[in-house]
Order: sequence, then C-alpha cells, then structure tokens
Amino acid sequence: MRRRNSRFSKGLISVLILGFVSLVLFTVYVREGEAGPLHTVQLGAAEILRPVRSMTAAVAQPFKNMSQTVGVAFQKAESKRKLQQEQLKNQELNAQVARMQRENAQMRQLLDGRRVSFKYAPLARVVAPVGGQFTDKVVINVGTGDGVKPDQPVIVGDNTLVGRTTERVTAHTVEVLLITDQNFAAGANILPPANFDPKSGKTAANTQPGAAPTDARGITGGTTMGGTTGGSTSVSNSSGAVAAASGLLQTTTDGYLGVDYVDVSAKVKRGYYVVTSGRAGSLRLLFPPGLFVGKVESVSSQDINQYKSIVVKPAVNPDDLGYLRVITGW
Amino acid sequence: MVQTSVVRAALLVALAVVFDAVIGPYLTFGLVAPNLTVISIVVAASGLGELQAITLGFFGGILTDALGVGVGLFGVGVLGGLVAGMLALRAGSYQRKSVSKPLLAVAVFLTVAAYDLIKVVANGLAGFSGPSIGGFIIGGMLPDALLNGILAYIISAQLFRLVRNKGGR
Repeated sequence: MRRRNSRFSKGLISVLILGFVSLVLFTVYVREGEAGPLHTVQLGAAEILRPVRSMTAAVAQPFKNMSQTVGVAFQKAESKRKLQQEQLKNQELNAQVARMQRENAQMRQLLDGRRVSFKYAPLARVVAPVGGQFTDKVVINVGTGDGVKPDQPVIVGDNTLVGRTTERVTAHTVEVLLITDQNFAAGANILPPANFDPKSGKTAANTQPGAAPTDARGITGGTTMGGTTGGSTSVSNSSGAVAAASGLLQTTTDGYLGVDYVDVSAKVKRGYYVVTSGRAGSLRLLFPPGLFVGKVESVSSQDINQYKSIVVKPAVNPDDLGYLRVITGW
Repeated sequence: MVQTSVVRAALLVALAVVFDAVIGPYLTFGLVAPNLTVISIVVAASGLGELQAITLGFFGGILTDALGVGVGLFGVGVLGGLVAGMLALRAGSYQRKSVSKPLLAVAVFLTVAAYDLIKVVANGLAGFSGPSIGGFIIGGMLPDALLNGILAYIISAQLFRLVRNKGGR
C-alpha cells in the first residue's frame, strides 16, 4: 500500500513539474520576440517538413479537384443530370480558360505589370495549408532570401489582397495569415462601384465628373476622414475618390468576413467594393491603400447598435489559391 | 507476457505528430479535426508505467508544439499531452491486463475535450481571437471529441498491435 502511494505521489509530482514547465514554455513563447529560441525551433521544424508538405500538397491536389467536381455534380437534381454534365464540361473549359487567363495575367505582371510604387517578392506558389481548428493559413515558397519579412501584404494578381505574412519566415518559405482568419485585421474603405475598378485597382472621384481615374495604390498623402455629407460619414483620400464608409476589416467568430465600426448612418449598399484604406487619420496602417478585398454581400443595422453589420464576400476563394505575391515595399 | 515497448510507443507518437502536421490541415473541417497524436498517446500510454506514460505525453506534446500543430503555441501541446498521459493512466489502472476499446474511446473523448478547451483558453491568453467558449463547446469541442473518440474505438486495436511486443521492451 505504501509502495503504491509512493508511486502515485511520484507520478503526481512529475505531472506538476511538467505542467509547470509547459506554462513556462507558453509564457516564454508569448513574451519572446519572433527571433526567440522557441520561435526558431518552430521555424526549423517547418523548414524540415517543407519537402514533405510540398509532396503532400502535390498528391492532395487531384483529390481536391475531384472532391470539388463531385461536390458540384451532387448539387443538382437527377433529372438535370444531362444538363449538369454539359455544365461540368463547360466548367472544365471555363476553369481551363480561367487558369490560362490567370497564368497569362501572372506572366504579364511579371513582364510589365508591376507598379512602380510597389516592390514585390518573386511570384510564389502555395506549398501547403497549415494550422488547425482556429487558423486559416498557408505556406508559400518565398522567404527572407527574397526580401520577405513579417507583416507584409500578400496579394493575388496585381491588386487583390488575400492576407499578410506572419512572423514565421524562413529562408525559403513564409506563412501567410489569410483574410478569413479570425486574427486578420485591416483598415478598409467601402467604395461605390462607380468609384473603383477592381481589375485595375483604380479609383475615380465621384465628386469630380469626368475626372481621370487615379491609381489607388499610388496615393502617398494617405486617407483622411472627411466630414459628414448628407447625414452619412464619407471618407476621401488624396486621389479625390470618396468612400461611402470606412471601418475595420476582420472575420467574426462566426466565420463571416466583415467590416466593423462602420457608422450606422453610412450609406453602404450591397455590391459596393471593399478596399484597404492604408491610413487611419494620420496613422499609416499595415497595408497600402486601394488593395481590393471583396464586395459587400449584406448590410444590416439595428437601432440599438452604433455600427452597421456588413458582411463581405472575398474577391478570391481562400481555399483555392495558386500563385501569390508578397508586397515587400511601397 | 505482453508488454508495451517504450521505443515503439515513442515512435508511434512521433509519427502521429508528423501525420497531424502534414496531413492534418487537409482533414480539418471547421473546428473538427482528427487528432492522431492524442489517440496515439492515450493508446500507447495506457500500457505503460506511471512515469513513462507521463513522459510520453510530454514528449508528444513538445513535438506537437515544435511542429506548430494545432494553435501553434508552445506549451499548449505539452499540457494536452500531459492530460492524455494522465487519462490513459487512469484507463490503464481500471483494466490492468488489456484496456478495452470503449474505455480508450472515452479516455480519448475526454482528452480531446480538455485539449480543445486548453487551446481556446491559451489562444485568448496569447491575445489571439477565437470562438466564444459557449459556442465552441457545442459546435467545436463536443463534435471534435466525439469524432476522435469514435476514431480511437476503430483504430485502437491496430495501434495496440504496433506498440506491444511479447516479453521485454
């Protein structure tokens, strides 16, 4: 009996000691900087796993495509099967066309599509998704060797924001926190369709009819809060483009991407464009202004709330990312 | 006599962690994901001695944290591993000769539930946003624990065979 008690107390003591060690590790990890020893261990491990992750991603891709195809096929009723097959063929063709267009656009961007005001890292491929239940991240194959640092914007094509780099940067890889992750946040402007062209990223001033479009990302003076116009808050930037509202882009705990802190009196409608604001008053934010995020999907407000509830549909599906680019300077 | 090999148990747990790190993200559906690491620790530790089981849990947890599995916060996986080791010990103490599959499934269910709660709390303590605890318990923790419990019931016999050898270590 005494022997059993001694074994029990030995086990309990070891649990207490190791539990204390885990709490110490947690505290050190949270408090240390990105160059801390525990972060370095994780970066090293990520680097070691990189080939395996790349290989797994290559193997998983056909299954992913297949599951998407099957998902589409089962959405329709049986009576519409013929129509569906035709639709699938068309979708395949469309996908091929879209892929070719995307590749074409990427090649064009590589040749001459780069904006003078931006510095880019080389075009990067998504290596693998990472994380688990609470995160939405991917790893891409550029790193410190390409000038990539933590907290830099990551885009698709020339203008569409998909996330930002995290502190997990190695020589050849970087982790990207996607806009649909609950820890992502960015200052955002909401623009009427007439004031923004999502393809080119150009804004036009609706207060100046006939004014030439301006590259939103070339703004150097930043965004300033405008006065109250006709009962609704308006935001203007140095290009003269007037935004319907501004707020904080983030994903809610329910999983919806939205713009928070938009005044209840702001005139925002479904279909309006959401772009990064780049500045909040005199503060320079993490992202350059004018990066396209998505479209307003729904707007609602209640009398008791000070802010509108705005849901945004992302411009790109975060589950279907191919090639990305990190903006290293602007 | 049938015994659990410590070396085999450690290898199984290491392989499970690598599996979770590489394949896990593809098998994550919202807040629900198979947790092979926890299942392996519970299965392997249930046949080990007290100190060995707890050390195995710690080992699995530290590997989990190093490879950035789960929330990727150092210390969280270690706590989860310790919980797994302790619950496996309790399960092992009920049936000394061989732990039954339902008992292991319950141990995995409880471990995953506890681990999920630890993750949510740690996420909040680290300053990251996450789901609300109430909503998470119903929509995330319970389905996650249930899935892993069922998974443990299905594969525990196979895992047992991998870590147990006749005589010696």
